[in-house]
Amino acid sequence: MNIFLRELRAYRKSVLIWALSLSLLSVIFLMLFPAFTKDTLASQKVIEHFPLAIRQALDISLQYFFTIYGFFAYLLTFVGLAGAVQAMNIGVGIISKEVSGKTADFLLTKPVSRAAVITSKLLAAFGLILITNIVFSLVSLVAANIISTTKFDNNIFALTSATMFLIQIFFLALGILTSVIIPKIKSAISVSLPVVFSFFIIGTLGVILGNDIVKYVSPFKFFDTNYIISHKSYDPKYLMIEAVFIVVAIAISYIVYTKKDVKAAV
Amino acid sequence: MNIFFRELKVYRKSLLFWSLGMIALVASGMAKFAAYSNTGQSMNAILSQFPQSIQTIFGLTGFDLSKASGFISVLFMYIALMATIHAVLLGAGIISKEERDKTAEFLFVRPINRARVISSKIAAGIINLVVINIVTFISSVYFVNYFTKDNSTINYVITLMCGLFFLQLMFFFIGTAVAAINNKSRTSASIATSVLLFSFILTFLININNDLKNLKYLTPFKYFDAKDLLATGKLDVIYVSISLVVVFVMIFMTYMSFANKDLND
Repeated sequence: MNIFLRELRAYRKSVLIWALSLSLLSVIFLMLFPAFTKDTLASQKVIEHFPLAIRQALDISLQYFFTIYGFFAYLLTFVGLAGAVQAMNIGVGIISKEVSGKTADFLLTKPVSRAAVITSKLLAAFGLILITNIVFSLVSLVAANIISTTKFDNNIFALTSATMFLIQIFFLALGILTSVIIPKIKSAISVSLPVVFSFFIIGTLGVILGNDIVKYVSPFKFFDTNYIISHKSYDPKYLMIEAVFIVVAIAISYIVYTKKDVKAAV
Repeated sequence: MNIFFRELKVYRKSLLFWSLGMIALVASGMAKFAAYSNTGQSMNAILSQFPQSIQTIFGLTGFDLSKASGFISVLFMYIALMATIHAVLLGAGIISKEERDKTAEFLFVRPINRARVISSKIAAGIINLVVINIVTFISSVYFVNYFTKDNSTINYVITLMCGLFFLQLMFFFIGTAVAAINNKSRTSASIATSVLLFSFILTFLININNDLKNLKYLTPFKYFDAKDLLATGKLDVIYVSISLVVVFVMIFMTYMSFANKDLND
């Protein structure tokens, strides 16, 4: 319990900055929605001139796309990216900072098992992510209700904004796994940034080019807005992939960390 | 001179990984082009009639994806992103790591003044940037030729790489300046990265809303937009000047702050 509270305190400022800047970004972005609606009207006129066959093919995705969900989902590609950086940073840092900060022997000589240490840290990390998401989702939901000129379904909006949470716990698990496997990490961010951006680039390039395999590789592409809107839930296939990944990553982390030779400070 | 070589050696492995990552990015991007250039075209023509904001959200940026030049332009956004992440982390890391790893005392009791230390580190950093740039250039030219048999793009690729180098320099020195000013060595890389993330997201906000276009001076990614480079075939003098000013101001701030810094160990 002590470790848990201590970690929450250590990350207090960082989580505050993250939650506030992500929320601020969301509000600024949602304020662009009225102008965007004008562009969508123009687009719909363009669509009217298309042959019927193409119109039908396009309409299915566009009809959702021009709603506030589609617009907000676009923001989520970037907020998700930033959130992934935050989560991966916490994941990589929360365990490796004991070694890089030369406090590992202080912590691990206490009468607490390794498993208890990693459990407390995991819960703290999860709590931090949860706080960030609650703030972000609430602010976005309120902002959307104030700004949007059309009525929309709050549940779908909440489901859309919670995709950030799902992306974040994926990267949190990946970060924890990375930090127990790599022997010495001097700076968490120089590990997490390249990893997160690789996934992001793979996902985005893949979708632009219509490559379907990436959808199973990049968590940024797991939770498709069209699917959320039409089914009012997430695609169970991807929820499964994510759940399996997280369970496996955490399990490996426990096994490795409880047996690991942790470098003491010199 | 010793510091210079020592830094090159320290960053050898990281440079290798970043180079491999860059080659992989260019290779996989161009490989997909080969598959894509036959299909997709009709869709592209249809979507090009939409307003800019809609196209941006669709991930299209008004480039002709059936041509190698259009394709490399789309890829350039990601190449630039990757190269600037490398640059900003390198800049922040190379200055702050002595304090972070508690080796500052060891280094700064040597009979070398701080300015010399910084100069050696910056020189080593720039070598790293140049290597990444050249690797990107060679792999772009190679994979464009390999997948498209189209030799006409080489001049365009050279222009892009010049733009890329300015981007790398700007973010590298933003990194060094942040590390020199910031007193908590652990947070330097995060702060420098926030600047990068902010610019990156701002670029997209500008693309979807025309009213924000005056903010384009705030984000270096807009200075060397592949769309403008493809249209004019050369770098914009105004943006190059702004970049140089940014670089010099950052260099100045790096030296000034670091010279007077109270190093904590």
